[in-house]
Amino acid sequence: MFFYYCDLAWRSIRKTPMLSMLMVLAISIGIGITITTLNVYKTMSYNPAGDRSQVINSVQLWSQGLDTWDDFISNITYIDAMNLRNNQQLSLKAATFRTGLALQSDNPKIEPVLQSVRVTDRDFFRIFSVPFLYGSYWDASVDLRPAYQVVISQKLNLRFFEGKNSVGKTVFLDRKPYQIVGVIDHWNPQPKYYDPLNGAFNDAEEIFIPFSLTAQEEFDVWGNTSGWKFEPMITYSDRLASEKVWIQFWTELNSEDEKQNYQSWLTRYVEQQRAIGRFTDTAKSAAEAVQISDIDKWLEDNNVVPQDNKILVGLSLLFLSVCLVNILGLLLTKFLKRAPEVGVRRAIGASRGQIFSQYMVEVGMIGFIGGLVGLLWAWGSLTALHRYFSMDQSVTGLDASMWVVTPLIAISTAVLAGIYPAWVVCRTKPSVYLKAQ
Amino acid sequence: MLHIKPILSSLMRSKSSPILLLLQIILSVAIVANASFIIYERLSLMQRESGYAEAQILTFSVYNFDPAIDNIKQNEVDQLILRALPNVIDASSSNMLPLSGGGWMDRYVDGPNEDTAKSTPGFAFYLGNDHLLNVMGAKLVAGRNFNPDEINTNIDDSGMLALVSQPLAKAFWGDESPLGKTMYQGTQTVTIIGVVDKLQGAWVDHENFEYSVIQNVDFGGSSSNKMYMVRALPEHIPALEEAIRSALHAENPNRVLDNFQTVAELRNLSYSNHRLMATVLSMMVVLLLLITALGLTGMVMFNIQRRTKQIGTRRALGARKRDIIQYFMVENYLICIVGGLIGGVLALVLGQQLMSLYSLPMVPVIYPIMSVIGLLVVTTLAVIVPATKAANISPAMATRSV
Amino acid sequence: MLSMKNINKVFKTDLVETHALRDFNLEVKEGEFVAVTGPSGSGKTTFLNIAGLLEGFTSGEFSLDGVNVSNLSDNHSAKVRNEKIGFIFQGFNLIPDLNLAENVEVPLRYRGMDANERKRRVESALEQVGLGARMQHLPTQLSGGQQQRVAIARALAGEPRFLLADEPTGNLDSLMARQVMELLEKINQQGTTIIMVTHDPELARRAQRNIQIVDGQVCDFSMYQPAATGTR
Repeated sequence: MFFYYCDLAWRSIRKTPMLSMLMVLAISIGIGITITTLNVYKTMSYNPAGDRSQVINSVQLWSQGLDTWDDFISNITYIDAMNLRNNQQLSLKAATFRTGLALQSDNPKIEPVLQSVRVTDRDFFRIFSVPFLYGSYWDASVDLRPAYQVVISQKLNLRFFEGKNSVGKTVFLDRKPYQIVGVIDHWNPQPKYYDPLNGAFNDAEEIFIPFSLTAQEEFDVWGNTSGWKFEPMITYSDRLASEKVWIQFWTELNSEDEKQNYQSWLTRYVEQQRAIGRFTDTAKSAAEAVQISDIDKWLEDNNVVPQDNKILVGLSLLFLSVCLVNILGLLLTKFLKRAPEVGVRRAIGASRGQIFSQYMVEVGMIGFIGGLVGLLWAWGSLTALHRYFSMDQSVTGLDASMWVVTPLIAISTAVLAGIYPAWVVCRTKPSVYLKAQ
Repeated sequence: MLHIKPILSSLMRSKSSPILLLLQIILSVAIVANASFIIYERLSLMQRESGYAEAQILTFSVYNFDPAIDNIKQNEVDQLILRALPNVIDASSSNMLPLSGGGWMDRYVDGPNEDTAKSTPGFAFYLGNDHLLNVMGAKLVAGRNFNPDEINTNIDDSGMLALVSQPLAKAFWGDESPLGKTMYQGTQTVTIIGVVDKLQGAWVDHENFEYSVIQNVDFGGSSSNKMYMVRALPEHIPALEEAIRSALHAENPNRVLDNFQTVAELRNLSYSNHRLMATVLSMMVVLLLLITALGLTGMVMFNIQRRTKQIGTRRALGARKRDIIQYFMVENYLICIVGGLIGGVLALVLGQQLMSLYSLPMVPVIYPIMSVIGLLVVTTLAVIVPATKAANISPAMATRSV
Repeated sequence: MLSMKNINKVFKTDLVETHALRDFNLEVKEGEFVAVTGPSGSGKTTFLNIAGLLEGFTSGEFSLDGVNVSNLSDNHSAKVRNEKIGFIFQGFNLIPDLNLAENVEVPLRYRGMDANERKRRVESALEQVGLGARMQHLPTQLSGGQQQRVAIARALAGEPRFLLADEPTGNLDSLMARQVMELLEKINQQGTTIIMVTHDPELARRAQRNIQIVDGQVCDFSMYQPAATGTR
């Protein structure tokens, strides 16, 4: 029976080509716009941490003075970062910030390039499950006693060492030799959730060096440095001793217990700091001056999904509903026009259900075609977004889930639009239209 | 005579189709009003004057990685080289770039005692020498520029002078002239010597975007990582990048030159989200009107087919062509006006929601009104074609049994 | 075969109540050919709609083929229509988008018959009405008489127990009307019960039995001998 309905539906669609095209156009444009905004929203709101989302946590501290900042700041001070690093209670912990260094190798053919570099601790690689192609992260002792060691990306390894195992070899950063201890396999989480503060959809860094080198190498900070009071920052040690915040701090907390313990450790830490004259805003209790954010909260707090995008998703859903009403009207018109035929079918013995099914199949078919065309629109507009508005490829690539979501939205839109007309037409009294055509 | 009453009662009797049309008009007005308001807002943001000779300023970053380098000397030499390049009007170092989305933000207080002093609003904090103003193309409206001998090499030197943007001066001193005022940063004092007409900061979405200060520090000397701005006529800019690269590398090869961009390009990039939003919303509005119009045309055409005999009868009974057209137009306007009223209210409610959720400004009432007027125009176009067709139905249709 | 006892059908509007049928009684035996006549507005169409299970009625008892069909659900009456009743209309009511074979096939589709059986029945029904060679034509390519024969074929394809014909020759000229009438008589002779509504007394005379409806009641029972063929 289904194929019979499909056959009838196809004939009906072909019989009124303009009307059918209009309906397909309406539904496809609605779908195209919705899928475009949804796709961008979906990829932006993606949580790359997956099931480790609750395990990976960042720490924020209310180190500001009274009446300065209204919210927790994502970064912490160098003083706090060092103190938190020294807490032996935690299994995994890493301070991190971004810098830039000039990269050279023994290969004289390759010109020096300014590279974005991540400064961090060895646990960073374990917390964020960074995969290694060769070697591994540096030894635990390096986090205490600085050593010129480096982890590089597979891409860099390809460029400088033709993809061979380069562990033990040397690269030069600002003309200083660093020994390679590990080569990372392909790793580029989008959004860049471990540091969304400077472009949430930037690529991951290609070079990782020990945080313990910071004080002696005086790395520039390629990220936000915020202060809530005037502090002269002439030398690098001024920066390190200041109340300015510029370092992200990550840790792994495997259970609610661990989280509780860490929370109370941090609370005691704040009390301790208050005793020596820091954390002057006592309007907040010591416990309130501590915030542990899992990845969901962290992405939310850092506005990884821009407001505009949420507005667009809302408006495009409204747009789709206009299309839905539009199609509803057209379908009603079209179906009512066919009431005489329905009368004949009913007289001949078609049940209401059979008539209803026949028209729902037609509606579903329009929805399906509309969905396909809509997917084409979405693909086109995403490509345009990438090309003309320099939106990142990771956001404008059609998400795999859209292959399921699109037909689903298309058909459910069509079905929503079709139920009422199909219901009206299937309730046609068989006797009414038989007498005179 | 428009004969509204019979049209109205006929509309009331055929329930679903006018209701659907009404619903469509309501939703359309709500969407179009809010979308066009957001579009207008974004466009007016994008049209703001920056105060810079945007297309004439080429910016780039320099990263010196030679450990033996003397930053202060190198900076002086570099700037002399840059200014000596053919076609270059002027050049200066800077700590940040206008409209780039990144930079320094700071504030002054008006007294030495931190507890009692009043603080200025946050402002974009440019550090530059006596050439910077000329490079930027900014206009001094009061006071004077720095003299060459007043330029400091470090931010903690004494003898700090500042140029402030007019909006900042207005916001903090009102009608009083800021010239000669002494401001404080910690223990350091700063004397204000000039007011610049317009000087935007780095963050296009920041509420203090128009508040800026230039302080007399040649920043290029204080760090290995710095930025330069070079001014030249737009037609000379494309060739300039190569000239700069070779000249500076010839002087010292141990550095990376990067991020060559004009301020116009920076501006473009900074506003790209707004441009995107305005484009997407404009497309939405156009498509929405298109779909509404086409749907309406389709529906009216069908109604005419269904009412062919009735229309023929009316014609046979003496209705003129314009009476028939008028009938359909009045029917349409009735629906549009009722839909417009409800849609307008819905638009304001939606606007209120957006305002509370996303801290957007409230939609002014003019937007729903304009949207309804726009819809009236579009629906008129959509109805007039099939209605004219209907008017051409022969009165003989009345006698034909169809 | 068909039995109506004290059937009443009342149409209610806001202003008036109309009795379309009042205390209507009728018995039709298996294999009969009954002609129903009456002035317009007398209740002929209402009777036909009720007899064909297209409409319900207000009170009374109606059984078809020994089964009480007074209070069938919509679905159930659709099933009975499909399996036991064939319809022939004045306006033919063929579906314009479907070709002849597909038109005839419609009732079989709703019965859920398999493709081979459908094909066999469609072919034999169209053969029977003399249109076996034109199965792929569209209704609009045929004359009125041919269209009505297709409609008859459609009614026959379901092998119904009885046929309801509503002014089957109303839209046809006299030559075509006679052909259609002869076809109906042939079908009746093969055992199908036929009830035909008509206003043409000459046609009515050719039926075995004539009833007249006036003001919603069976007014007059008069038995006619089957008209001798050739009487003009």
